[in-house]
Amino acid sequence: MLTVILQQGINGVVVGSLYVLVALGLTLIYGVLVQINFAHADIVTLGAFAAYFVTHLLSGNYFAGIAVALVVGGILGWLVNATIFLPLRERGSELLPLIATIGVSIMLQNAMLILLGPIPYAFNTPYSSQVIRFSGIFLTVQNVLIIVVSALTIALLYAFMKFTFLGKALRAVSQDRETAGLMGINPNYVIMLTFVIASALAGMSGAMLGPVLVLTPFAGTTVIVKAFAIVIIGGFGNVEGTIIAGLLVGLIESYTTQFLDPGLIDIVVFALLLLTLAVRPTGLVAEKREENV
Amino acid sequence: MIYRPFRKLRVPAIVIGGLLVASASQLHAADKVIKIGALFPISGPGSYFGVQDKQGVELAVEQLNKSGVNGYKFEVQYEDSACSPLPASQAAKRLIDQFKPDVAIGEECSDATLAIMPIMAQAKVPLLNAGSSSIKVTQPGNPWTFRIMPNEVMQGVDIATNAYKRLNARTAVLLHENTNAGIGNAKVFAETFTKLGGKILADIGFGRDVNDFTSIATRVAGLGKIDVIPTYTLEGQGLKITQALAQAGVVKGGGGKAIQLGTIWLPFGFEQKAGKAALGYVRIVQFDPTDKRAVVQDFIKAFKAKYNQAPTHINAHAYDQVMLIADVVRRGGKDAQSIRDGLAATKNFSGVTGSAEFDKTNQNIKMDTVHYMETMPDLSWKALKWN
Repeated sequence: MLTVILQQGINGVVVGSLYVLVALGLTLIYGVLVQINFAHADIVTLGAFAAYFVTHLLSGNYFAGIAVALVVGGILGWLVNATIFLPLRERGSELLPLIATIGVSIMLQNAMLILLGPIPYAFNTPYSSQVIRFSGIFLTVQNVLIIVVSALTIALLYAFMKFTFLGKALRAVSQDRETAGLMGINPNYVIMLTFVIASALAGMSGAMLGPVLVLTPFAGTTVIVKAFAIVIIGGFGNVEGTIIAGLLVGLIESYTTQFLDPGLIDIVVFALLLLTLAVRPTGLVAEKREENV
Repeated sequence: MIYRPFRKLRVPAIVIGGLLVASASQLHAADKVIKIGALFPISGPGSYFGVQDKQGVELAVEQLNKSGVNGYKFEVQYEDSACSPLPASQAAKRLIDQFKPDVAIGEECSDATLAIMPIMAQAKVPLLNAGSSSIKVTQPGNPWTFRIMPNEVMQGVDIATNAYKRLNARTAVLLHENTNAGIGNAKVFAETFTKLGGKILADIGFGRDVNDFTSIATRVAGLGKIDVIPTYTLEGQGLKITQALAQAGVVKGGGGKAIQLGTIWLPFGFEQKAGKAALGYVRIVQFDPTDKRAVVQDFIKAFKAKYNQAPTHINAHAYDQVMLIADVVRRGGKDAQSIRDGLAATKNFSGVTGSAEFDKTNQNIKMDTVHYMETMPDLSWKALKWN
């Protein structure tokens, strides 16, 4: 039984790491703009497809696929910001960008449906079928890669935010956009940078999720609801909170599957969400919103 | 001088008007059309059904309309029923209000079919189904719904009996999506298998939004010796389950001993996507491409010529739906009521998936639409000839 508990713990960390990757982008955008980007899910899907095609074109070079997904995500983020968020933000509306991203999401899904079709793609990387077995525990090399890439991404993001000028500028804009502007920081540039980083993360998470997900044009939408829940449980735009909440949700899913029923996963996760909102409305890691990013 | 801006347009307007009247009277002369309303999932996770259904329908209509049947041509209107009750009922209403079909075909997913059925019955339009397995479609059913596909009881009893008697299975773990069809199929298997003396070690249901099946495979791996794992899911989740069970070392494809049992829901080509994990998978298919009957081989040839690919069972059963309607028209069907009566009177219709003859509940009683296949190491199929 101990082996099963340990195995489910590993499974939970793998799934949780994927959730963290998806939710980090949402957290960054929410932290800086206090806006939700509904098209985030579709950038994840596009990242997955970009990685799929590049990996297949380059005879199984999955790392090239991840790199291209990162770039595709970043470019899409820049586009979404430049064509939707920036013009609508200048008109002073908070609701319009939100609705516009729903429109972008539907448009991207249908464009992918026309171009790529609805039949599920089998994204098998060279690492998906390599299984490491030890003392009754099994783990694919793909899963190891997911944990390593997630940990590296979190570390790099943390270092970027703490130690670089741009990271500090980003935090300054999230705390007080007007004052940051008075200090010589261009808020529009920082917001654009936030979108690029968040969407690049989404693209990369798509590349990591692709071999795990049922890869169709709607793939991203199956994880985005959980990602939103993680952002809220973690503390509305709080990076540390998002990491903890993502791993927690992954572990809850695994242990619910083992000890209760997989059909109850959503009930348990969203019960946690409601409990968090009722008992600790600021999220697991409670800070002042201005300090979240 | 009075300016008359439309004066120059008078002559062309008369010519166009004349042409319209002429084409309208021509349309009236060729008005003998059987209108088929097609309700298929074109969006969402079941949309792979719709794409393949449409291919089968288009091929059948193209062949039939070359010479017509009893002076009738066939016209098809597609609506997206999305494999889900609410969009399916909206699509059915849209179809009836705007297209006014003589007969409808679809849906694939049982929940959607169950939502469509009362709407079709109220409009007195026969519905011919080839892809839903829930027993509720025909029991109690209604006089306007007919099903070619064997229902979940027919499939479940058959596969459980074969698992026990031919594969000597004594233990089973059930994996299924939490839908009418998923739960129903698993329940029938469990009842039959238990009655024969087998033991169900676990009954694991999951939602369609579950992506990672490693946790479920871990749970299955911890259940001890398992002989068979009947699995009831759509293609995407089916792929992930098969791969996860292989990674956990449970099924033959991963070096284990358990045999995964699959359903009609999975399309041709599933094995190629799942890879080595699918080794030893035994599953029911609705269409056997190795069947030597001329109707099957002609269909395969025509399909490859039109689409440059091999047909799947979904292509095949969509093709059969239209061909069965054509058979009814050949026997005198000309409107909704006569097509319904003709369907009910069908005897030994021979289609590409098998034959059809309906009982009092409008369920096809022929079992030759069930073909058992085993996945070989080179990922090809071996027909098991159990039926």
